[in-house]
Amino acid sequence: MNIKLKNIKQAVIAGIFTLALAGLGRSAAAGETVKFKEHNAAVSTDFFDQNVYGEGVNQLDMGRWGRKFSGKVLPSKDVNVFDEVPDSGFFTNRHGRVRLSADLLEKGYQESAGPDLSRPLQVHTAVQMGIYPRFWAKDARGDEYLFEFDPQGKFELSTGAEVVASRFYYALGYFVPECTVVMIPSDRFEVAPGATTWEDTGFNKKLTQKRLEEYLMVLPQDEKGSYRASACKTVKGEDYGSFSFESRRKEDPLDLVNHRDRREIRALGIFAAWINHYSLRESDTFDILMDRGGQATLTHYLGDFSGALGSTQEGPKAPMLGYEYVIDYGEVFKSIVTLGLWEKPWQKKWKQAGEQCLAAPAVGYFTNDLFDPARYKTEFPYEAFRLVTRADGFWAAKLLLSFSDEDIRAMVSAGKYTDPKDAEALAKTLSVRRDLIARYWLSRTSPLDGFSFSVGKLSFKDLAVEHGFSPREGTVYSVEALKEDGKEKITRFEIKDTSFEIPAADIPASGNIRVLIRVLRAPSKTPSPAVTVLLNASGIQGIHHED
Amino acid sequence: MTLRTLQKISALFLFSFALMAACYAGEKDQDIYAPVYTQPLAPEPLKGTLSRILEFPLQVAKWPMDQGLLFNDKHQIDKKAKWIYEETLRQGFKPLFGFSDLSMLPYYGAELNLLALARQKEKFPDFFATATIMHCPGVFFLVGTEIGAQQIGGTGFHAKGLFNYDLEEKEPFYGIGPDTSKGEKASYRIETTQVGVESGYEFSPRVDLIGAFDYKNVNVLNRVHDDTASIPGLFPGQNIQGLSGDNLLDYSVALKRDTRDSKDDATQGSYQKLLFQYTDGVNGSPAQYFKYQLDMAKYFRLWSPRRIFVARLFGEHNAELNHGTIPFYNLARLGGAGGNTRDSETMRGYSYNRFYGESALLLNLEYRYTVMEYKEFKGKVALFNDLGQVFGEIHQFDIADFRESYGVGFYLSYARNTLLNFSVAHSNDGTQFYIKNKLAF
Repeated sequence: MNIKLKNIKQAVIAGIFTLALAGLGRSAAAGETVKFKEHNAAVSTDFFDQNVYGEGVNQLDMGRWGRKFSGKVLPSKDVNVFDEVPDSGFFTNRHGRVRLSADLLEKGYQESAGPDLSRPLQVHTAVQMGIYPRFWAKDARGDEYLFEFDPQGKFELSTGAEVVASRFYYALGYFVPECTVVMIPSDRFEVAPGATTWEDTGFNKKLTQKRLEEYLMVLPQDEKGSYRASACKTVKGEDYGSFSFESRRKEDPLDLVNHRDRREIRALGIFAAWINHYSLRESDTFDILMDRGGQATLTHYLGDFSGALGSTQEGPKAPMLGYEYVIDYGEVFKSIVTLGLWEKPWQKKWKQAGEQCLAAPAVGYFTNDLFDPARYKTEFPYEAFRLVTRADGFWAAKLLLSFSDEDIRAMVSAGKYTDPKDAEALAKTLSVRRDLIARYWLSRTSPLDGFSFSVGKLSFKDLAVEHGFSPREGTVYSVEALKEDGKEKITRFEIKDTSFEIPAADIPASGNIRVLIRVLRAPSKTPSPAVTVLLNASGIQGIHHED
Repeated sequence: MTLRTLQKISALFLFSFALMAACYAGEKDQDIYAPVYTQPLAPEPLKGTLSRILEFPLQVAKWPMDQGLLFNDKHQIDKKAKWIYEETLRQGFKPLFGFSDLSMLPYYGAELNLLALARQKEKFPDFFATATIMHCPGVFFLVGTEIGAQQIGGTGFHAKGLFNYDLEEKEPFYGIGPDTSKGEKASYRIETTQVGVESGYEFSPRVDLIGAFDYKNVNVLNRVHDDTASIPGLFPGQNIQGLSGDNLLDYSVALKRDTRDSKDDATQGSYQKLLFQYTDGVNGSPAQYFKYQLDMAKYFRLWSPRRIFVARLFGEHNAELNHGTIPFYNLARLGGAGGNTRDSETMRGYSYNRFYGESALLLNLEYRYTVMEYKEFKGKVALFNDLGQVFGEIHQFDIADFRESYGVGFYLSYARNTLLNFSVAHSNDGTQFYIKNKLAF
């Protein structure tokens, strides 16, 4: 007996030892460095790939044609059982999860208070874009920043747009670099040893102090002679180029879902419509390899927001931006067949404005006149933005509605506009646009959220009623409870309240039931698409808005 | 109370607490953002197999295009090319490029700004001296030079001397009059050497009065080529003058008025050009005639700068003087895309030089509308109708002799400079295609 026990003990120890070795081996395998490839992209490749190649190749996509004729949609594939987007290298639930304070909304993503100007900035690279430069420079702390400036006569336009848009994207949940508006005295620029400049001639030359001063001469200054810049801090880590809005990185073990099927990527089109970020492009994104919890993972950043709000790098937005792609084949065809007699919405809007930008120079061309959330277009036709389903739209609308007017004002204040009227004009336009977009998406789906199940009672919120888009009067909720297989009906009734009891007898001891809720609003007789709540005795096990 | 009872009460209390804690914990711990999925995340292909197979050949072509664009972006090739072009212009060398009606091949050439080349432009800002050379293989060769001055004495006076040598290798000829046939085509080779002076007064930037005098030596080689017959052989009995060439003195006066907002891509305004020219043959040439020419166009905005209606009227009459003759190569000519002073006038459904006549009357109607705009880039579609006829004397004008052509064009421009003009026009003669880098008018 004792010998047997001894053998058993030895066997157990050997087993544990073997398991430990196997575990170590697996850890070793997991810790092997993934070789990421650099994905290079430029505006020109973006244009060709999306606007020329992509539009042509889409016609060969049989699945796409099948979906078009059948009316089927492609649901997002990275949403969890509660129809939410979990945190990932693309997105972190921030303001939508826990409301950020006004201070945090204004600060955005901040590692520091901005560039340290206690010593002159050491400019090591300059690029001339037209007549205006942009600089890469290191501050007194040794941190590298990209400095961009406003065009002449449009003080605060581009720099304000860059920083304000970065606040919005950050609060929504995307990864953005640290961006700040900074006033730089004229004596704070110095040429670093070995500095170079890409001139507008296309040649790379040595940057001299004289050339730097020539660059500075074209920039607008305030009364004190300071230059206003948006300072975007270079994110530390290895840069692996841009990420695609369509396909995943095959070499990334954490990137399992094609990006066009990620809800947070699809919703980028909706958020871009909100802040009028026409120039949202793949080529402005960047993937940084960082250490997160001991593991090297890619974090996917958005960048370059100077094309948001009423701004472009060259000045106020041109009137067609936001309404058409660079080459919009559909709009061109419409124009051709209507012999140019059909006036496009942006042409009507431009004519109403007297064919000029009436707003202040810091605001640019940014109004909600003739804004249609369903028809907003970014510069290039990304397929991900076209695949947005009703559930994706609802998720985005919900996020938008989590921002109050005060929240919006807080983020706009990051633009440090001298004239409070400019900040107020922008904030008001953004508030109204938020409502227009949210109203549109909530009207297309079941706008119910905030589900809770306690003591046999299922409660929810009607976001459309809560935000004043639909009246409570005349609103009826049609409830249908089904067995888990979705075939056998348990009960069906209509209510006017946003909560109802589910008899315990209807909830099985094991397994779930499906509760489908649709919204009926008078005078319409058509119910909304359903939201399905999966629940059991323990509580809510899943939520799904119909795509 | 017995111990057993106490134990039961404690157990019941603990059970209740545990149950409540479990319920509360269940509610509190439910993280709606947790990465819990209905099905585990797994990679999937973007498209179906058939779609991927269909796309594969195009993907093979896409890769080098992307690499080329990335290379261009990395080394800023486009900016370098633009700088090189602007620098050569600044140095006095302007490359020329375009398309002729008679060849699929483009013509190429250069215009030299001699003062800029000699670094004298800043010293003599009101003077100009240019030399031009153009060649279209098998079609034409042209060399010319102009030397002159503008704003002489701070006034509107301007003057220049010019020299041109122009060799046209295969000018088509279909006979004279409105009833010629496309099937009866001859061609000739014509060599013109011109020396002249021109002077004028610019009343305003829009109005200019120009007087000119020049001498032309014209050699006509009526050669048979491209399986075409000779002119006398094909048109026996027609009184075709000038076949053996001429020496001509031209005296002309022209009044020009141009109120267009852009010469290349006008959306409003008009232009008018009235020309009177007296031509006298010398050294035994029998030529002697008057030329009257009117060319006017009006650009109407149809409630928008994106919808333009253009109406152009061209008329020419050549009248013999003192029993003199009009060389056939100086008759009014209709056909082709037009646009150059040396070309036959715009009648796009017909080929270049299709109609020759002592007189010509031409009406061009065109509706241009913008279909695409992105910043400075614009794409326009044009619907046009060209109606014209050639005739002899005024009394020989006949409504029934009008020839009509209609068509559609696509124009691409950048900053109101035409980059591409692709037009298709149809007439009783058939269909013509044009690729140009300028508009007809």
